[in-house]
Amino acid sequence: MPGGRLGRRRAPGGLEAPTWVRLWPLLTAEWRHHPWRHAAAVLAVALGVALAWSVHLINGSALSEFSAAVRSAQGEPDAVVRVAAGDFDDGWLDRLAVVPGVRQASPVVSFETYALPGASGQAPAAPLSKPQDGQRAAIADPDTRALGRVAVRVVAMDALAAAAIAPGALPQPSPAVRARQPLALLDPNLVFLNPAARDRLGLADGQTLALQAGPHWRHFEVGGSVAAAGPPLVVLDIAAAQAGFGLEGRLSRIDLRLAPGVAAADLAGALPPGLVLVPADEAAQRVSNLSRAYRVNLTVLALVALFVGAFLVYSVVALSVAQRAPSFALLGVLGLTAGERRALVLAECALLGLAGSAAGLALGAGLALAALRGLAGDLGGGYFPGIAPALRWDGLGLVVFGALGVASALVGGWVPARRAQSLQPAQALKGLGGGAATVPPTRAALALLALGAGLALLPPVAGLPLAAYASVAALLVGGVALVPGAVQVLLALPRPEGSVLALLAWQRARHQRHTATAAVAGVVASLALSVALTVMVTSFRQGVTDWLDRVLPADLYARTASSAGASAQAWLPQDVLARVQALPGVRRVEASRLRSVALTPGRPPVTLVARDLADPAAALPLVQAPSVPGGLAGSLRGADGPAGAVEPDDGHADLPEAWVSEAMVTLYGAAPGTVLRLPLDEGVLRLRVRGVWRDYARQFGAVAVDRGVYRRLTGDDRVNDLALWLAPAASMDSVQAALRAVAPEPGMLEFAATQDLRRLSLAIFDRSFAVTYYLQAVAIGIGLVGVAASLSAQVLARRKEFGLLSHLGLTRGQVVGVVAGETLAWLAAGALVGLGLGLAISVVLVHVVNPQSFHWTMELVLPWARLAALCAAVLLAGTATAAFSARRAASRAAVLSVKEDW
Amino acid sequence: MNPARRRWLARLAGLAAGGSSCGARAAELPAPAPGGPDGPVRRGRALQFPRDHGAHPASRIEWWYATGWVVAVPVEQASAGATDGWPVTAPEDARLIGFQVTFFRIRTGLGDGLAGRFVPRQLLFAHAAISEIGAGRHRHAERLARWSGADDTHLRARALRADADIAVGGWSLRRDEAADASHGPRVAWHTAIDGGDFGFDLALRRTQPVLLQGDAGFSRKGPQEAQASHYLSEPHLRVQGRLRLEAAAGLYPTPAGQPKAVPSGHAVRGRAWLDQEWSDELLHPDAVGWDWIGINLFDGGALTAFQLRRADGSALWVGGSFRPGLAPQPPSAPGAAARQAGAADASPRAFGPDEVRFIPGRRWRSPASDAGYPVEWEIHTPAGRFSVQALLDAQEIGGRTATGTIYWEGLSALVDARGHRVGLGYLEMTGYAGRLRLPG
Repeated sequence: MPGGRLGRRRAPGGLEAPTWVRLWPLLTAEWRHHPWRHAAAVLAVALGVALAWSVHLINGSALSEFSAAVRSAQGEPDAVVRVAAGDFDDGWLDRLAVVPGVRQASPVVSFETYALPGASGQAPAAPLSKPQDGQRAAIADPDTRALGRVAVRVVAMDALAAAAIAPGALPQPSPAVRARQPLALLDPNLVFLNPAARDRLGLADGQTLALQAGPHWRHFEVGGSVAAAGPPLVVLDIAAAQAGFGLEGRLSRIDLRLAPGVAAADLAGALPPGLVLVPADEAAQRVSNLSRAYRVNLTVLALVALFVGAFLVYSVVALSVAQRAPSFALLGVLGLTAGERRALVLAECALLGLAGSAAGLALGAGLALAALRGLAGDLGGGYFPGIAPALRWDGLGLVVFGALGVASALVGGWVPARRAQSLQPAQALKGLGGGAATVPPTRAALALLALGAGLALLPPVAGLPLAAYASVAALLVGGVALVPGAVQVLLALPRPEGSVLALLAWQRARHQRHTATAAVAGVVASLALSVALTVMVTSFRQGVTDWLDRVLPADLYARTASSAGASAQAWLPQDVLARVQALPGVRRVEASRLRSVALTPGRPPVTLVARDLADPAAALPLVQAPSVPGGLAGSLRGADGPAGAVEPDDGHADLPEAWVSEAMVTLYGAAPGTVLRLPLDEGVLRLRVRGVWRDYARQFGAVAVDRGVYRRLTGDDRVNDLALWLAPAASMDSVQAALRAVAPEPGMLEFAATQDLRRLSLAIFDRSFAVTYYLQAVAIGIGLVGVAASLSAQVLARRKEFGLLSHLGLTRGQVVGVVAGETLAWLAAGALVGLGLGLAISVVLVHVVNPQSFHWTMELVLPWARLAALCAAVLLAGTATAAFSARRAASRAAVLSVKEDW
Repeated sequence: MNPARRRWLARLAGLAAGGSSCGARAAELPAPAPGGPDGPVRRGRALQFPRDHGAHPASRIEWWYATGWVVAVPVEQASAGATDGWPVTAPEDARLIGFQVTFFRIRTGLGDGLAGRFVPRQLLFAHAAISEIGAGRHRHAERLARWSGADDTHLRARALRADADIAVGGWSLRRDEAADASHGPRVAWHTAIDGGDFGFDLALRRTQPVLLQGDAGFSRKGPQEAQASHYLSEPHLRVQGRLRLEAAAGLYPTPAGQPKAVPSGHAVRGRAWLDQEWSDELLHPDAVGWDWIGINLFDGGALTAFQLRRADGSALWVGGSFRPGLAPQPPSAPGAAARQAGAADASPRAFGPDEVRFIPGRRWRSPASDAGYPVEWEIHTPAGRFSVQALLDAQEIGGRTATGTIYWEGLSALVDARGHRVGLGYLEMTGYAGRLRLPG
């Protein structure tokens, strides 16, 4: 059609406007006619983007808030120096100060403990300024006080040295203290509280604060404030911290100010041997690493939601293309080239994606805001204790996640766009040749599945199960591509005896199987995801339940500290044990001692648990040693490997035995047959690793030794946890009351009945996995919308067939029945593929992603009833959707369709 | 310096060195062995050396204070013998570089009953300053640290008891005696400081006996007997060492062909004065500060004079001493009258509480603190009537120091009644920017 191309408008400058701009009226018309369908596609993209973006925002905000809190408490030294693990002798300070390039060295003692407002057992000091009413009440009520033990971090420094490094982190004495004591910052009797500590403790300047040091409370006067953000922080003089908390001559770290032009890295070589340079933002990095696997998991889930959204875009656009085949044909006859038709469809998709991304970014920001208000940045993961971050924007993330949304829409629209391109205008004008869909070859599908299986065997990359995620993606795509093949295999079965209509549906389903992919791909994908997540969560929950049964055999638990970090300061003496044993109602008591042991800088410390281990198999949930892939162990012992933490067992020395948690094996290579070296203050504890146990409580490693052996080796007979078996008739409350009286000072023990612990643990578990239920619902909903959209498209394409059937005497209901029957057959095949695929993915999640992300294993548990219900629900909902769509499509088409040829 | 740091340190400096709180602190003193070096400041206690050059941690405040002037010398002279080329009378003013370094020790009264190296029983801090007269430039720096009181030579912050050995933040001052077959023991003080854009490493060699101020080292500082210090001086110390001034090109003459800025410092020589003083109560409640001079006279004599000032500028207490030069002097030399008046030997003539008058002259107003300092004085002493003239007006220390202690401390010339310059030394003026405050 020379010279007569449709809609060709030339701008005055001679530039051509893009195709989609010229055809804008056509696009808007399409959207006007089917607003809900396109809204669903936009919504699907938006949900995926929103989920990913909100996870990203929440984590970014929590992390930056945490870093800021660390920075404001620590200042910004040029470098931080420690020994490889634990605290160290303060004599290092002299050796460090003379290292060339060091201008100022600021010693720091830091530990976790508990604080109580007011002097224990005494009236609180008269307040110098009038406290608020709420604070007053909290102090006056002794019961509230006993319960109101607040976990705090104590940072003790030499204000004179720190002034040159962290002036902003220095405390501000109150005016009254300032007037009385110009050297307030050096006064060992004063403490300074940050806003969180002040708020939690309800203390005003001049009042008394008690800090727990073993079985004692040490009393200090609140002398002012420190500006540090973040969780409760108490600052005091370094001399007071060393003398009062069993840290005589010890330091936690030394902050350095360097001479101009000296970089921290330059210093590394000049340090006295034994000292190591740690990054100044080590704590922030560590918490970032800590939460990284969890974050990546959530982000991958969100990307999966986006993937499902792409399916919906595919369904909607495919339908739209099918419906518009005549108009595309007309445009083609009028001169719109094949390439331009494709560009038109892709432009549509891009616009859908853009709208979806925009909505998703807005929605995600809203979700993040709500989550930060409600969950305080935790995401249910508990990685950012005690901070309430403000939303922090990230421009790059905004662009990336927005682009991801658009990309997913373009991917979804790629196949329909190709179809629009390959349209034969002459055929299509007659209503023929609409359904020439390409069928993915079964061989390619199987190759993808094999690739997925292979990827699942690879070790983690940088501590993340990236290969396993790729494996899940390959399995998903391969499984979806396998649907036509599966239909073929299934329908090769002997055909059912029965009505002609059933035969019609059966044969049709068989012969048109290439269209099955389009119809049920979304269902396969979403069902597979749902099955995988269901199996994974069920397995994990079952694992945790079994584990709780094993680790909580007693009736009642009393503990001095809720974290291993605080257990260094919050402990009870050994003689408490005998007194507890003598209490009426107590049948048996076991004590354990917890210690936090840093093995390598940059990694969270591991927990040493000294407890009764006469029969380790009974006391610990032992597992077979997890198989550590060679590559994994090798990479761990590589660059950042914990040199010196583990050595091969020479078999000679008579070493004490230890049982390690699974994380110790994957993180440190401490498998049975090795010797673990734990650097304690008392010296290096060498332990022969005898077995591996499962520990869902401490993701970063735990080591269990017999308490008798531990006491003999270290002389440390402090007690942190008590497990109590009660006499049959004993009352839990009266035993608790008696226990409180046994502690040297009130308020030093926390109690939990076993039932409460179990309930609480599972509640926390369910909260952490709530997001996966939400994702399942979204996935299934999107899958069903996909079924509806693609069936509508097919019904349209088969108008002539329906018309013929009507002429042959079939009622509309019977026609719809045929369509529903076909769909049922496809859906059944799809459900089977989806189920199988889901199970395969769940195996990857349970046995690869979880151990690689969190360093613990679990048994695969298949909740058959739930899975069957899930499949049945999908079948039912899919068939109903199909019938509904067919009815709507057939009602208009049937009468006219046979006339069209004429 | 960071403003935040300055702020809090200024607050830390809040307690005045005297007054009622000081009395309360004195009452906290553990009962000392009376009369020994750890005992209280009292008249009649015989100072014993070298022990009394060391620290007296039981006393509330103590300082070691070295002032003087140096000139750059050619490298070949730097290592030459004791007297060759030694400038006794000063060269022209443009070449003069004044220096002062002070180590303070203050007992805080904190940390009783605690153990450990960080227990803040004592506060040590040091000021150092350089006055380049020719360039009209003045710079200063400081160090501050806590000290547990432990007598340990390995500590980075310390003030040992046995003999002078004070260190804080890498700066040091110590005294040693080297046996010399021909001249008897050779006593020298050594000080090394690094103040960032300047630094020095100097040996101050004794040429005269220790000068015990007041009554054999007991120096009254106020109308009550409690306001007193043990006070000794070492005038006419020979200075030899290195001085480093960043961006110092052209500030003092360098021989052609030599690099103008020497990273490790330039060889210098000069003459210094060292004071050591410790006290339990320095300032009478009515006193806001003091004015002080310590002058090495060109004839070998040493003139000390001080007054403790009330807020209205009137003198609350005065004191000082004159020790004539040990070399034969022409009758017209300063102090001749005093010698004839009875101090014929080399022992110092202590000035009585009515024998000294300080008459302020021209004032210089500090742009930093807005304090007005009399940079010229007329001082009447039993040794004569002199004029003291600052060689550089802007020699204020503080305002920008961590301890917030603001004072004027500078190289000055002593001019006799006939207008002849007869000595060089340091003038110190405190309490012009509010009552003098010292940390602790």
